[in-house]
Amino acid sequence: MTKKKKALEEQVVTAEPLAIEEATGTEQLRASLEEIKGYEGVIGYILRNSTSAAIDLKDPSKLIEYAILSSSALEAGEELSETFNLGEVKNILVEGKEVKVLSFTVGDNKISIFAEKNADLEKVLKKLGQF
Amino acid sequence: MNYNEIYTTALNNVLDDMRKVCPDIQHAFVYNEGGGIIAGSADITQKVMARVVDAFDDIFERAEAIGGVEAITLNGNMGTVKLYNFNGHYFIMVYSAKADVGYVDTIVRVLVPTVLKVLEKLSPTPLKNAIPPPQPEQPPVEDSTLTGIPTEVPVEELKLELEKEEAKPPPAPEPEPFQEPSPPLEVPAVQLIVENIGGLLVPSDTVRVDGETLANWENAFEGKKIEYVEIETFDGKTARYKVKPLKDSKYAGKGIVQIPEKAQLALEIKKGELVKVKPVIE
Repeated sequence: MTKKKKALEEQVVTAEPLAIEEATGTEQLRASLEEIKGYEGVIGYILRNSTSAAIDLKDPSKLIEYAILSSSALEAGEELSETFNLGEVKNILVEGKEVKVLSFTVGDNKISIFAEKNADLEKVLKKLGQF
Repeated sequence: MNYNEIYTTALNNVLDDMRKVCPDIQHAFVYNEGGGIIAGSADITQKVMARVVDAFDDIFERAEAIGGVEAITLNGNMGTVKLYNFNGHYFIMVYSAKADVGYVDTIVRVLVPTVLKVLEKLSPTPLKNAIPPPQPEQPPVEDSTLTGIPTEVPVEELKLELEKEEAKPPPAPEPEPFQEPSPPLEVPAVQLIVENIGGLLVPSDTVRVDGETLANWENAFEGKKIEYVEIETFDGKTARYKVKPLKDSKYAGKGIVQIPEKAQLALEIKKGELVKVKPVIE
């Protein structure tokens, strides 16, 4: 019992720095997304990773549709990149008649930013360039 | 040269010209709402085109929330894939990393709608519904379709055909086509996209095809019921299966053939690939 407890403590000690590092990266990303959400024409974002999801949309009624679309876009991006040997996917932009969606991956995090059709996403891409 | 050939040739010429303007366009093709390939460069296989159509289809199915798709841009480290939706005509361009995508984008957005508008004016029916009518009076042509999925024909071949047509003297009036002797009992194969069949008790010897395609075949065979089809893969594998109409209405008119998993394994094909399907009359 004591041995087991000791082993667990050791595990926790070794895992901690990594967890903090990952959390910091995701936190920074989330902070940037919060800032981006204030940009003109941006209507929200979805940030997902294997352990959590953060969704912030001005119109939550479309939350599920947006989440599924975002996931489909990222999957299609991977498939097309493989088909045409495009290397690592930087981003995929789906332009709709009303809204456009910019999706991309940073490490374990899958991000989609939703904006009005005429919004300028250059500033968003610049802001996210640091990741 | 019928209208569909003019249509395909015009779009192939647009793609060729685009590639002349921007040599960094590596591949380009056009498909319609039903997933049928209308035009495309010879350097891209039907298999790859089908895979791309399938990948984009997943996005289209979920894009209602954003008002439908106008364009999709995939940026990769080594290139870009761009899809443009011009009123149900989907133009796919694959660029190398050094391409000036913005420049081509401008040209595409000006040139393509203009060409489509001209074709629309020439067309007897709306372009996106352009389906070649069954023509029993003509001898069967290899690889042509009944479901509006034209087979890819090299542009040069079409150009040559066009020149030949132009060189010919005006054709003498033909007798009534329907008074000709009965048409040969051979219906050309249609090209369809493979889709899985869901469910627990799926018979492994039965495939499902659009009811409209079955009806067209039955009409061509003077009302004979089509019970079997032959499926041919692009690798040359063929097999015969029982055929039934599609149950799922979401696949109707999309150029889909639902094939059980076992049959897919036997034919060495998978979802999204193109196969040739033709009716078998015993």
